Amino acid sequence: MQIQVKCGCREDSCPEWAIVELQGAVEAQPSFRDRLQNLEIGCLCRPSSEEKYTFTVGYHELSGSKVPLKKPLLVLKKKRAFDPEESIDSDPNSSRMELEVIGIIRQRILFKTRPKALISKPQPTIKEKKVTPPVTLFQG
Amino acid sequence: MEHESCRGGAKAMLNLQPNSSISTAYHPHFGPHDDLMLLEIDEKLLPDILHNRVSLRGQSDEEVVLCTPSKTYAVKLFGTSNFVFLVPPSDPSESSETASNEPVVASVLKVALGIMELVEVAPKLDKLKLLLMENPYRPEDEMDVEELEEIEKDKMGLFRWEDLVDRIQASDEELRAGLRALLAVEIDGYWRIVDEKYMDIVLSMLLHNAVLNGWSLNALKEDEVVGMLEADGFPRRLALHCLEMYGGQVREGNGSNGRAWVLDERWVCIHFARVVLKGGKMKMESFMDEWMKKIPARMSASFEMLEGEVLVERLGVETWIRAFSVSSLPSTPVDRFVVLFRERQKWEWKDLQPYIRDLRIPGLPSKGLLLKYTRKMQPTSDAEPVFSAR
Repeated sequence: MQIQVKCGCREDSCPEWAIVELQGAVEAQPSFRDRLQNLEIGCLCRPSSEEKYTFTVGYHELSGSKVPLKKPLLVLKKKRAFDPEESIDSDPNSSRMELEVIGIIRQRILFKTRPKALISKPQPTIKEKKVTPPVTLFQG
Repeated sequence: MEHESCRGGAKAMLNLQPNSSISTAYHPHFGPHDDLMLLEIDEKLLPDILHNRVSLRGQSDEEVVLCTPSKTYAVKLFGTSNFVFLVPPSDPSESSETASNEPVVASVLKVALGIMELVEVAPKLDKLKLLLMENPYRPEDEMDVEELEEIEKDKMGLFRWEDLVDRIQASDEELRAGLRALLAVEIDGYWRIVDEKYMDIVLSMLLHNAVLNGWSLNALKEDEVVGMLEADGFPRRLALHCLEMYGGQVREGNGSNGRAWVLDERWVCIHFARVVLKGGKMKMESFMDEWMKKIPARMSASFEMLEGEVLVERLGVETWIRAFSVSSLPSTPVDRFVVLFRERQKWEWKDLQPYIRDLRIPGLPSKGLLLKYTRKMQPTSDAEPVFSAR
C-alpha cells in the first residue's frame, strides 16, 4: 500500500506554524474544560530586543527563548481521499488515505525554567473572594 | 480553518517585537486533531517532499516506512512529556477585515503529544525474492497477453512494477537495484525470475552456438546471438536476459545494431558449479572433475571464483563441498547471522567475509556489524580470529 505525501505549497511558500513548548502542564479549571475554545491561556511577552520571552499563565511566569529547530518539522494532515473510479463492490473502508503537508515549523519558543510565582497584589480593604484564573500552570 | 477574532497567529508570535506582548489563547477550533501530525525531517529531504516525490509504504501488518526516490526511512514516534502548543498561521483573508483595535491573538490549535522522526534503514527486499519465486518464468509461460489479464495476477504470482511498489518497503531506486541483484527480467510488463533449469538450457544453447559458429566469447554480437536463439525457439527477451545475466556490454551501438557482449568467466563458472552441486554435497575431487567438464573450452575456472557460493568441510580424511550461496541468504543482518551460525557454529574471518560483505546498515561500518552480531575469539594475537554467535 502506498500513501503519497502531497504538498501543495512551493518551497518558499509553505505556511509557517509556530510551537510554544513548556515543561509541566497547562490545565484549565474543571468548569472550563468542555469549552476551551477561545479561552485565554496567558500572555507572551518580549521584554527587550533579545530573543528572550516570558509567558504568564495564571499566577506563574515562565522565562524562555525563541530558538531555531535543528531540523524543521512538517505539519502533516491525514485525509481520506474518495476515488470516484472505485467500483461498487470494493471495500468502502479502503478509500485511499492521503497525507498532506500543510505547514512547516522552523522555530519554537521554549520555556524550560521553573515558573516564577507572581507576587499577588496587596489585598484591598474590602474583602474579595480570591479569583482563580481559568487556566493555570501545573507542575507535576 | 475559520478564525474568529484571532488576527495574529504564528507569524505574529514569531515576529513579536521588542517591548510588546501577544495574548495566547485556545483556538476557536482547538481540539485533539488526531489527523494532524508533526514529522521531523532533514533539510536535505525538503525538496523531495515539497515536490511530491515522497510516499509512505507498507502493508497494514508492517511498520510503515517513508520512501524518497532513493532511500528508505523507518518512522518512529517519540512522545514528549512537555506541553507542545501548536500555533497555526492566521487566516490571511481575515486580516483585512478585522478592525485594527482588536487584540492580536496567537491561537493554539492543538497540543502535540509527540513528534515523528525518521531513521534511515536498509530497504526490506527479502520479500521481493519470495514474491518473484512464487512463479518463476518457464518455457510454458509464453501466453497471450489477453489471457494473462483475465487471470487474477496475484493468484498466479505475477507482479507488475506498481504491484511490487505496493508490496515492498523500499524506495524506487532501491527496488530497481533489488530487481537487478535478483537478475529479474521484465517480460510482458511482469517482473519475473527465470527458472534456473531453463536458464541453464538457454546458456548452454548460447555456448553451443558460439562453438558451432566460431564466435568469440569476448565479443559476442547481440544481433547474432539473440537471432540464433530466437531461431532455436527461445523468446527474444530471454535471449537478451541471458547476455545480461552472464555477461557485460562491451560496445554500445545504435539500438541492438552493433552492441557486443563479453561473457563473464566468473558468472559462467559459478553457474556450472551450481548445476553440478544441485544434487547435494560431493567429494572435492568428484566436484572438480564434473565442474571442469562443464566449463566452456576457452574459459578457465579457479576455485577462488566460488567464494561466497560454496562451503568446504573436512570430514575425516575427505574434503567435501556443497552449495551455499550468499544470494540465498536473508538481507537483514540479524537474520543473516542467524542462518550463518546455524550452518556453522564457528567461522574464520576468511570464510565469513564473503558471506557478509554485501550487508548494509546505514551508519554502521562492517567492523561494527561484527561487534554487534558476533563474538570474536582470538587466543593469541597471531592466531586466526574465529567468530561465533553472540
